[in-house]
Amino acid sequence: MATAASPHPAFDFVEEKNGIRELRLRANGLQVLLLPNRIAPVATFCVVYRVGSRHEAVGHTGATHLLEHMMFKGTAEFNRDRGTQIAATLEAVGARFNATTWFDRTNYFETVPSDQIDLAMRIEASRMRGSFIRDGDRIPEMTVVRNEFERGENSPFQVLYKDSFAVAFREHPYHHPTIGWKSDIEGMSTARLKEFYDTFYHPDNATAILIGDFEEAEALRRLDGHFGSIPRSHRPIPRTYTDEPPQQGERRFVVKRAGQIGWVALSFRSVAAAHPDAYPMAVLANILGSGMTSRLYQALVEPSLSISVSAISWQLRDPSLFSVFTAIAPGTDHARAEKIVRDELARVVREGVTEDEVKKAQNQIEADVIFERDTTDQVAGSLTEAIAVADWRWYVDYLENVQRVTAADVLRAARTYFHEDFSTVGWFVPRIEAEVAA
Amino acid sequence: MSSRFAENTARLEGENGATFLALENHFNPTLALSGTLRAGSAHSPASNPVLAALTAQMLEKGTRRRTKLELAGELENRGISISFSASGGDPDTMDISLACLSRDRVLAFEALVEMLTEPVFPAEELAREKERLVGAVRQLSDQTGWRASTAASRLIYPAGHPYCAETAEEIIAAIEATTTAELADFHERFYRASSLILAVVGDVDRAAVVQELAGLLGPMRTGAAAAIDVPPIHRPASARERVRMKEKVNADVLLAHDSGLTRTAADFLPTTLGVAALGQSTLSSRLGLRVRDTEGLTYGINARMSAGRFSGPFAISLTVAPANLDRAVQSARAVLGEFLEGGITEKETLDEKRSRAGKFKVDLASNGGIAGALDMAETYGFGVGYLDAFPASVEKITVEEVNAAVRRHIHPEMLVEVAAGEV
Repeated sequence: MATAASPHPAFDFVEEKNGIRELRLRANGLQVLLLPNRIAPVATFCVVYRVGSRHEAVGHTGATHLLEHMMFKGTAEFNRDRGTQIAATLEAVGARFNATTWFDRTNYFETVPSDQIDLAMRIEASRMRGSFIRDGDRIPEMTVVRNEFERGENSPFQVLYKDSFAVAFREHPYHHPTIGWKSDIEGMSTARLKEFYDTFYHPDNATAILIGDFEEAEALRRLDGHFGSIPRSHRPIPRTYTDEPPQQGERRFVVKRAGQIGWVALSFRSVAAAHPDAYPMAVLANILGSGMTSRLYQALVEPSLSISVSAISWQLRDPSLFSVFTAIAPGTDHARAEKIVRDELARVVREGVTEDEVKKAQNQIEADVIFERDTTDQVAGSLTEAIAVADWRWYVDYLENVQRVTAADVLRAARTYFHEDFSTVGWFVPRIEAEVAA
Repeated sequence: MSSRFAENTARLEGENGATFLALENHFNPTLALSGTLRAGSAHSPASNPVLAALTAQMLEKGTRRRTKLELAGELENRGISISFSASGGDPDTMDISLACLSRDRVLAFEALVEMLTEPVFPAEELAREKERLVGAVRQLSDQTGWRASTAASRLIYPAGHPYCAETAEEIIAAIEATTTAELADFHERFYRASSLILAVVGDVDRAAVVQELAGLLGPMRTGAAAAIDVPPIHRPASARERVRMKEKVNADVLLAHDSGLTRTAADFLPTTLGVAALGQSTLSSRLGLRVRDTEGLTYGINARMSAGRFSGPFAISLTVAPANLDRAVQSARAVLGEFLEGGITEKETLDEKRSRAGKFKVDLASNGGIAGALDMAETYGFGVGYLDAFPASVEKITVEEVNAAVRRHIHPEMLVEVAAGEV
């Protein structure tokens, strides 16, 4: 029988916070998060797997991502031969759907009219353990993914961010990009992908999220019906244990490639998303790089030395990076742009930031968080990241943690992490060559 | 037929001709505004093709009351975003968007109105913006997608047509030659209330908010937007161009021609249903099923129609490794040929109609989505009731209407073919 706290006998109620209810499917350990939001007659259903490129090694880098592509190739119930291809089935109800992979996680999501929630659940349950992973599908899909890789290589920003991680991390798997190395994408066997699928795609390594216009008892009944019979993994899900040792000196790299615009990237080894210093670093990223009044915009874009600048405090499960990227204006040399970025960061280390700057950053982050709630899929996306880096409560508590940050916290964090020995500098140097139009 | 939108939307025409729409949604303490003004790139004079875009971009660079940094400081302090763009979807319009927490409504509206009606185009800000834009254009010219679409538009449309794009060199020359007097003159001539539409959705009192906007914009000058002299399109035989860009390991490819369809044409909706079956989804439409799913030649392949007040292009776009270019193009052309010859099937028509009805709900599930739809309905003269009637309008379309429409407007023999990359 359902207890007062557990609205359905198949589920254990775990906790409710800020309107989000966590339950666990007793039969197999599937974590379930429910957030009613009746802004419109739609809902987002999302399944997050705790598997990302952090679980890969040389030879099968990109497995998480290639597997995510293969998960659209079909199951016994949903496949092209039966006229029930997953994408076509979702398109036919007007769903907005996709899947994404990142360092720490993979997610699959569908935003559907609320009378189609059951369809979204059926598809996700079907491909949790029943996905075709066939050689005949992998071969054309490999070239699809290779074209995705090639598209990324056309972008100086993507080249710089991938190389910044590759140079800053030598031992930890954040070293390689989520899309993988090109030769691994090409060489990975179907059997290796199948093994990856069989290792990580289990209900006890997943979270099902439902946000939007639904009735809880009905949603739980459907979740139990679709996912309840899937067994939990018969072996423990492997965890990543490789740590990146401390960096002991600046690292630099240069990419010279045909192009029009130069770029500079400056990154520092930083903290994990769940570390208390992640919040002052997020505030600092905002102060340095968000909006026209931000410090780096004023130092670089306002005097026309750069075209754009951004500061990113990467929020990942393990310690990662704080990065600044700037696309420099024609006529500005890389060394000058790098010096200006360094000078601005040194100024923070020397003098700190003002309470007004902290307040502005907090207001912007608060507005962003509130705007996000306008759409169910944005909340699903944020919960995905929270689950990947820590736990769903990380999302719920984020704003409060940001609002606790003081100027003194920012100063202390900057002094801890903005040390030259922890830095990685990258330059994208365009080689401007005559182009031929024929 | 539901009349949810018609009944719940407040609509007010100001004395100067501006139109205001508002719909309440109190779920979240936010609001979104979407607007248009007939001051888009199509209104730039032949002597300066970037004038409309630059005027829109300079609105935030200082007003009679506040400097650029005073404005930015006020808005950024509260997480308010306001943007103006004359480089977006319909070349006829300059697009306006605003998002803020509802508690900041008054302040956000005042800033919006100030930027829209009282810009001063300071010379030093123009000089700065020119330098930044020249760099930004060079950055664009390094992108295979931008190069392919620019080249295709120049093969399809004559110079001076709203859909004919300038080259990077032409844009840079025009930016560098622009004066503050030209910006002020363009603003004077085209920023007129009679073509202004603003739609607000969110945590507001709808009756009060349209009055509030009408009051704030009351002093805005009236007057109609000038008619645009659109040069005729001499439908060319197919043409082919390769834009060689070294070390671009992915190529962007476009197969396109003018569709002859405007947004208000009766054939627009049935044609877009057909185009959706052909290439809306890279995973499940006909092009995607063949060129991506079966042959593995591309990460992304789509077909789309662009149309506004002027007829725009029908286009198939794909990305491809240069070595696979010819095979992929041949395959895409074959799919298009089969589609036109055999036509859309009953099942595809049903699926696309269901899909469109579902997407309608999904797209209108946010304040921004609804505001954009209200703005669009008003811009093209459909009226708010269009949103209520839309599902039924889609439902009654037949397979014969779709096939007749796509055959009238899609012509493989007229496609220009452009590829940009290491090709």
